[in-house]
Amino acid sequence: MIRWLPFEGIAALRFMREGWIQTIFILVGVSLGVAVTVFETSILTGVQANFLKRVLTSQAHIVLLPPDEVARPLHDGPGIVEDATLQRPNQRLRSIDQWQTIRATVASTPGVRVVASVASGAAMAVRGDATASISIIGAEPEDYFRIVRVPDYIVAGTWRLTSDDILIGTDLATLLGVTVGDRLFVTGRSPTPRALTITAIFDLGSKGANLRTTFVAFRTGQSLLNLVGGVTSLEIAVADAFAAETIAQDLSARTGVRADSWIKTNAQFFTAVQAQNTSNIVISSAVALSVAFGVASVLVVSVVQRGREIGILRAMGARRGQVLLVFLLQGGVLGFLGAVLGSLIGAGLLLVWHDQVRQTDGTELFPYVLDPLLIGGTLAFASVVGLLAGMAPAMQAARLDPAVAIRG
Amino acid sequence: MAEDALLSGIRKSFNIGAPAEVEILHGIDITLEHGAFCALIGPSGSGKSTLLNIIGLLDRQSAGRLVIGGKDTQGLDDAALTRLRGETIGFVFQAHNLIPAFTAAENVMMPMLLSRGWADAAMRAAAEALLDRVGMTRWRDARVGNLSGGQAQRVSIARALMMKPVLVLADEPTGNLDTAAADGVFDMMHTMNQEQGMTFLIVTHDPRLAKRCGRIIELVDGQVVQGAA
Ligand SMILES: Nc1ncnc2c1ncn2[C@@H]1O[C@H](COP(=O)(O)OP(=O)(O)O)[C@@H](O)[C@H]1O
Ligand SMILES: [Mg+2]
Repeated sequence: MIRWLPFEGIAALRFMREGWIQTIFILVGVSLGVAVTVFETSILTGVQANFLKRVLTSQAHIVLLPPDEVARPLHDGPGIVEDATLQRPNQRLRSIDQWQTIRATVASTPGVRVVASVASGAAMAVRGDATASISIIGAEPEDYFRIVRVPDYIVAGTWRLTSDDILIGTDLATLLGVTVGDRLFVTGRSPTPRALTITAIFDLGSKGANLRTTFVAFRTGQSLLNLVGGVTSLEIAVADAFAAETIAQDLSARTGVRADSWIKTNAQFFTAVQAQNTSNIVISSAVALSVAFGVASVLVVSVVQRGREIGILRAMGARRGQVLLVFLLQGGVLGFLGAVLGSLIGAGLLLVWHDQVRQTDGTELFPYVLDPLLIGGTLAFASVVGLLAGMAPAMQAARLDPAVAIRG
Repeated sequence: MAEDALLSGIRKSFNIGAPAEVEILHGIDITLEHGAFCALIGPSGSGKSTLLNIIGLLDRQSAGRLVIGGKDTQGLDDAALTRLRGETIGFVFQAHNLIPAFTAAENVMMPMLLSRGWADAAMRAAAEALLDRVGMTRWRDARVGNLSGGQAQRVSIARALMMKPVLVLADEPTGNLDTAAADGVFDMMHTMNQEQGMTFLIVTHDPRLAKRCGRIIELVDGQVVQGAA
């Protein structure tokens, strides 16, 4: 006899063992439900985390830009509009006024990790007969590469950005038929082309970026774009990425320039995350409910089958509370064991999925992470659901009139 | 003389679907002296089981006074009745008395397990001594489903005696046993009564066995017609 347990625990386990067919069936049911939940939740958090990491290392958290140039309605006098049809003017490549002062303000703002001055704009790359329209980003690597982790995405060469160097993407390299060490002629707004040496080739994970984006030194960018002494944007990384929007609004208010946070520019990502999480909660709740009803129905049948045994236990001095606990515990144990099995199955499925399902470039779609909090939470939640499911049958058992129960 | 059970004016009605009430016991007066070995006989449906359940505190009388082990049961709540039952009364029912999920020895230990606070060794020793006493030592660790009817009833007797009750109530304990097995079980109860002195009240249909009891109480249509005193 298992004597480390009080009577209620022993009886619960023995009853479950005796009715092992029912026990196995309901355990299979519970564990499949839990497996689906664990699997789904893990994939979701993994994919989201992966995407978030990509987003946060491939773009600035906040970008400061010169304010939009707007056309104002033509007024004749107060309240009289001469011509209200407004056409948005073309946005010229402009520098941010007083950018050094703004940069200093930003740098001293709490929560800001790095500020980089950027001179960026459109240009043309030429190699022999091949030309491509590109976008050049001129920035000091020691600042900028702490925001956008270009070095992490290098696939060929070793990056170096002196004033005569350029980093290009894989697709641009293919298009122009160039490789590391080759030279490119780049023409920006300044009429004189410059010959730049390709020191490294990167893969940012998106064809558009790999075809168009290039990186040059800050001063090279300024001179190519005819922006000597100016910047087109100040790019910022903050310590807490989720505080970016608040900081952006604060900076915009204090400096008068436009401040776009990654949260705003990726609004649809957050909407998608929210929709996914909501649907996951709905699915998990449906699973929890069906688990609860499954456990309850098995226990209701068991209480009916064991009516006479319950009566005999009462005759031998079992209190109502003890009978109640015997069935309540069965619910809890079914929930817990089902969750343990389900977590194992879910983890296994996740491993298979992780190995089989890849992104188009062959990298993992989601990191294989089993959140201990998710597993612990699932075990606790399933046990509580089991206990709650056992409540009705357990009360039915405890209420049995022993005389009637024994009579059968 | 001290009495283990004192019944006066016990009535029992069952509510068989709204207003209809049927009275099954019509004012029963019985006194069971300590150490008595009594048979309770009567035709089927005369109310023997109903009476036994009331004495055993498994059911409540509709009217009348019941004193068990010197304690008036008037006004006791379910928990107090359960405690009194566990401490003073042992039960043997007709077949299928034992809990099949447990072994013979575990079934015998069950009342102590339920009442808590007993050391493991003490429980095991008490159960083994009783199993020995009813001749079931060999089947100590047997699943009760594997026992014959007579063997199961012996285990049930051992279990009924586990808490050293003052009163053992047996409802047709030999009901579906062959003559030899029935004799064995009956003898066992008689021996226990002689050796340990607890009171027995045994419902039986077998006049042969009833005659071997010191006292016969006969119930007909919910009334005692013989042996009340
Ligand atoms: N819970 C109950 N509800 C309604 N009638 C009952 C109930 N228990 C017993 N009876 C009735 O009481 C009568 C006596 O039953 P019982 O005490 O079992 O008789 P015996 O044990 O002498 O055969 C029977 O008619 C039976 O149908
Ligand atoms: Mg009967």
